[in-house]
Amino acid sequence: MGSAIPLGDATLLPRRRALAGGAAATLAAARLLAPALFAGCTSGGDPRGRTVRVGLLHSQTGPLAISATGLRDIELHACERINAGGGILGRTLDVRAPNPRSRPDLFVKRARQLVDEGAVALFGCWTSLSRKAVLPIVEEARRLLFYAVSYEGNESSPYCVYGGMLPNQQIMPALDWLAGAGGGRRRKVFLVGSDYVFPRTANFVARRHLAGKDLKPVGTAYVPLGDRDFGAVVKRIRESGADCVLSTVNGDSNLGLFAALADAMIDPAKLPVVSTSIAEDELRSLLPAQVQGHYAVSSYFQSLDTPANREWVSGFRREFGFDRVTGDPMEPDWCLVHLWKLAVEKAGSFDTEALRQAFRDGLEFAGPGGPVRLDPKTQHTTKFFRVGRIRADRQFDIVHASEVPLDPDPYPQVAFPGWSVDWTKDGVTRGPEVDIDGPV
Amino acid sequence: MSFAPQDWFWLYDIPTPQLALWFVAAFVGFYWLGSILVRPLLRQFIRHTAGANDIVGYVLSCFCVFYGLLLGLIAVTAYQNVSTAGENVTREAAALSALYEDVSRYPEPHGQNLRWLLRDYTRYVIRYAWPLQRRGIIPEEGTIRAEAFHEKLLEFQPRTPAEEIIHAEALRQFNNFLEFRRMRLLSVNATLPAAMWYVMILGAVLNIAICWLFDMRFITQLVLGGILAAYLGTMMFLIFDMNQPFRGDVSITPEAFEMLYRRMDEE
Repeated sequence: MGSAIPLGDATLLPRRRALAGGAAATLAAARLLAPALFAGCTSGGDPRGRTVRVGLLHSQTGPLAISATGLRDIELHACERINAGGGILGRTLDVRAPNPRSRPDLFVKRARQLVDEGAVALFGCWTSLSRKAVLPIVEEARRLLFYAVSYEGNESSPYCVYGGMLPNQQIMPALDWLAGAGGGRRRKVFLVGSDYVFPRTANFVARRHLAGKDLKPVGTAYVPLGDRDFGAVVKRIRESGADCVLSTVNGDSNLGLFAALADAMIDPAKLPVVSTSIAEDELRSLLPAQVQGHYAVSSYFQSLDTPANREWVSGFRREFGFDRVTGDPMEPDWCLVHLWKLAVEKAGSFDTEALRQAFRDGLEFAGPGGPVRLDPKTQHTTKFFRVGRIRADRQFDIVHASEVPLDPDPYPQVAFPGWSVDWTKDGVTRGPEVDIDGPV
Repeated sequence: MSFAPQDWFWLYDIPTPQLALWFVAAFVGFYWLGSILVRPLLRQFIRHTAGANDIVGYVLSCFCVFYGLLLGLIAVTAYQNVSTAGENVTREAAALSALYEDVSRYPEPHGQNLRWLLRDYTRYVIRYAWPLQRRGIIPEEGTIRAEAFHEKLLEFQPRTPAEEIIHAEALRQFNNFLEFRRMRLLSVNATLPAAMWYVMILGAVLNIAICWLFDMRFITQLVLGGILAAYLGTMMFLIFDMNQPFRGDVSITPEAFEMLYRRMDEE
């Protein structure tokens, strides 16, 4: 066959063979190396497609950091656990936690930043001031804000899920407990609070609730948030003849309040302070000698002796350190993250409107403090009412607990007649305007 | 098409062994492709020159000296970048450890609060900052935790001479820690300048092009040139892998922080 090839082509033959051989070798090498070359490689799609951004909006510096940092940590813990379990709808949570520095104007900026960065849900805010500042942003962006702190009620937003206690779940039962045998049948209560929306509204509800009852309000005082000078307030408490104090003081102002009470040698057995905003995390910074024997009212205490709670507490401490504590509102915050997860799974989507539809069908979660139900009408949660007496080891003895969780009512009729909310129907029904600073 | 170094950082997301193979395959493939397509054209220039291979060999030797020096120096620079960043990480962890010891001597509740703020910072660095650094992103939320610690540290008012000394030492350690932390963050995106990459890539292309000029059996050329191209690819891979201190296999791990966190946790 070779002899048949003309002379001019004879030199081309080995080159063609070599080229063909080279090409074949290249293809064979490529085939051999392909599994190694392409293993572990992706198609180059947007990596953010596999994650979903969640924003945590808590003050990590400033006067509210003492309380709010625990919320950030429990939310991180919840998100880490969810991610470890495969995420939600196959997407892992990409958590961002900027610092609003206890300043309402920065809450607005940080919320806007999180929304612009694509956060599908925000968990956060401590004071009502910060919540009210953030709400217009989430409403405009149609995102959900999950708020875990006890608050004053008198508010309903379709884009907010409220996990904290309302006055009808905390303030009103606390006053009833003080007036009853368990609380020592107190007759004169002094109302003291930080000077912002929650304490003022809570005290308005308290005074309305006490109208016509044996327990009478004998004085009210407000101190700017972050202020620690309570000398004059304690003097007024003593002069009022009060036999108990209902405190809505927030953040590290509590350091000043209890220091002033201790300086005035006030005996907690004779003049107990019942705080709405003190939990185990705040007790870390308070001296036991100054707070022992006083009370806190909340839906959860770390000392709650149930297997679910023990497991939850040890899980948190394993992750964040054995000297860390849990408390209210950390427990409601944990429940809110999981209620959001349940809603997303039920809706099959992270879309806000789909989630709101999922809320309407009702959601329940077995929290460490007991079962929690999201009320579809109000987008608030049911809460146990518990009273804890502060111990020397910075924990609480639970001295009273409601038998069943209390339903939420953001507009108790005793304080806000004619007002109600039902998000499954017409939303907010407005009653006559109420002046919370006016006469009761 | 952009040639900025950061536009190629997605390559770090490819597992390291595969990336090495990619580099080698790209260089060898380029050489082989040129051997098939370009070599016949290039060889026209020297085909009938006596001792052409000697001339090409001489040019290649000269070129390789300069190019080898360049690659060597760049590789050393890249390694020094990684090494310096590693030192900064170790020093940051050491300053953090010393600070932890100092605040352990504070009276309660200050001591406990300050200790858990440091633990929180260390946990953040391990759990959140390092994965971000590995993606070439400067982690921001560590600053918040450092600020929270500083705020709490300044809240403490020493009441005895001993407390004053400990407090002064803690503040000094905190400043050291901040300095090393800042240096770590700055090294997240420390990278060789784009011009260096241009020179390296141009040098590699010229090196391969000179090899195409050799006059020898085709298969021999494929094999010998392929070996040279493979080694060039390996060198470029090494420099690329070391180019980012926190990315790739030749990178800094959070081991110093992990050891510290374990100790904090045990306490």
